[in-house]
Amino acid sequence: MLFQFEGVTKTYGTVTALDNLSLAVPAGAIGLLGPNGSGKTTMIRMLLGLIPVDNGSGEILGMDFRQRQLDIRRVVGFAPENECLFPRVEGVEFVAYAGELVGMSAKDALQRSHEVLDYVGLGEARYRKVESYSTGMKQRLKLASAIVHDPKLLILDEPTNGMDPAGREEILELTRDLAHNKGMSLLCSSHLLPDIEAVCDYVVVLGGGRLLTQGGIQQLKQLHNRCFEIRVKADLPSFADRLSALGCTATISDDLLLVQIPDGQSPQMLWEVAREQRQQIRHLRPQRSTLEEVFLKAVEQP
Amino acid sequence: MPVFDQGYQHWSGELSGHAWRWLAITRHGVRIGSQSRALRVLLLVAWIPAIVLVLTLCMWGLLERKSGVIAPIMQFLTFLHPEILADPRHFRIQIWTICYDYFLLTELRFAMIVVLLVGPTLISQDLRFNALPLYFSRPLRRIDYFLGKLGVIFVFLFRVIIVPCVIAYVMGLLFSLDLSIIRDTLPLLLYSIIYGLLISISAGVLMLALSSLSRNSRYVALFWLGIWFVSSVVGGILDTADREHRRHAMYREMYPPMENQRIHTPNGRGRNQPDWMVQLQIREKLQAEEAEAAKRNWRPLASYTANLSRVGQQLLGTNAAWEKISELTPPNQRPRFLHDFMGPQYPWTWSAGVLLGLFGLSACILNFQIKSLDRLK
Repeated sequence: MLFQFEGVTKTYGTVTALDNLSLAVPAGAIGLLGPNGSGKTTMIRMLLGLIPVDNGSGEILGMDFRQRQLDIRRVVGFAPENECLFPRVEGVEFVAYAGELVGMSAKDALQRSHEVLDYVGLGEARYRKVESYSTGMKQRLKLASAIVHDPKLLILDEPTNGMDPAGREEILELTRDLAHNKGMSLLCSSHLLPDIEAVCDYVVVLGGGRLLTQGGIQQLKQLHNRCFEIRVKADLPSFADRLSALGCTATISDDLLLVQIPDGQSPQMLWEVAREQRQQIRHLRPQRSTLEEVFLKAVEQP
Repeated sequence: MPVFDQGYQHWSGELSGHAWRWLAITRHGVRIGSQSRALRVLLLVAWIPAIVLVLTLCMWGLLERKSGVIAPIMQFLTFLHPEILADPRHFRIQIWTICYDYFLLTELRFAMIVVLLVGPTLISQDLRFNALPLYFSRPLRRIDYFLGKLGVIFVFLFRVIIVPCVIAYVMGLLFSLDLSIIRDTLPLLLYSIIYGLLISISAGVLMLALSSLSRNSRYVALFWLGIWFVSSVVGGILDTADREHRRHAMYREMYPPMENQRIHTPNGRGRNQPDWMVQLQIREKLQAEEAEAAKRNWRPLASYTANLSRVGQQLLGTNAAWEKISELTPPNQRPRFLHDFMGPQYPWTWSAGVLLGLFGLSACILNFQIKSLDRLK
């Protein structure tokens, strides 16, 4: 397991940030979802070994998070959400310094700094002062400084915050590569569900300090055996009307028809209606929940 | 694009332990601080008093050995008492102490400027650029952060205060060619180093506390100047006001009765006692009173540098050295000599208490202002 918690409760005064949280998460690319105030930040701090908890126990990468905080932070890389910089340094010094703070020797840190800056695409800007970097470059710089010591777990808090589409795609590509090709576990907290879906295989959804749901994204986005997406060549409304008359629930969404067939019927009826109306079915597939639906459903749980 | 793109490579090197993690912060801070041209120039200028100290101690070594090298400049040493010139070895401790005291007093001013150039950005820039999450998400404790930042100030002050002390000592030893000098002066070297450490820690922690109060390093620099200059000026004003008050009180007390004192001459006609005699009496009485008042004069406590200086004098034993030298002056001139040369004589523990209080206050400010990531938003 990448990390596991058992009955963890953390309160800040009268506010309960984590409420008897128990979960076990396997290694891989994990998305951390939840509305504001759901306990995501507290959980990240717990994963970094930064906060004492009121109750509960847990392990991060096999280490007790209540006793081995500094050891945990040696093997975890963290890129915070907000803009944060070591001031008055060049890019290469920035990343090398981040490495030295983890315990790398100055020589190793500098060499490694050059490597990871090349990797994140900042090789050409390595000798520029970091204050002059654009938002996208700063995000990549934070990513570089988080992976300089080759952590086992990389925690990214809103990694694409404030980035343009091209920069966002580059960051997602890098994190996807780290998680899927380089064997680095990833915990990515974001409000942008497409980002999570693009990078992660597994999600943890928190709400009110509790675990709402967790699991593989493909499992959570379950197939609906009785719901289909259909696109026909000709008249979609009349096709929808005919299906409705036969007891189906048919909803037009853009150029798609979302159809739920009644119990006792098979998808064969769709073909029969098409033949009857002389329509060509150009697209037919079982409907699958989106991650957004999974998230909303989890959050709406009482 | 890089010429040779090797993609992401894993790293399998060794990470050091936690104990020396603060050193990375110090190293980084020194590297950044050294980029300042003003600081580099100041560090060079700050060596001028050190060179003077080295030359003085070397010359003293030659004087002790009655070396012929020093003969040509003997005519310039007439300001020294003949007994000192006759037996310089007897006054070795006192002369070394006074030399070190003057040196450290001068370097204290340089230290204040060095701290002014190095310190303001140390924490304020981290606050401004929100760097604390980058520090505290790594295996670093708050104490490591403070030690690292303090280390930056310490390194620069070490170069200005402690290194010259040690070099001057070694040079003095080499030129005296007398092993007994180690026995006589080693405590002085140790106390000089302790004093240097005291200045570094006190000024360093105070500056870090100020630096944590603002995100703008210019304001921090102004705070520092305020503490240094304003406190010195306030201390000076209080001290002068007290002295003037005492003088006026003395004149009020002495003049009216003396106006009635007449010197009786043989022809029976009296004349007033000459004014210069009254002045002399007043001066003597004033000196005696000031010597007494100096032992309980708290006004220099208002000045930060005066407090550091007072503790330094106590550590080095400067007042004792001046008392020993004053024995060479005629008894009637001794109070004036001591008045002119001796520093403040109030209990050094008062100054130590003020410095300790400032240290505690600074530590509280740092503890309050610099929160680890568990308390950061």
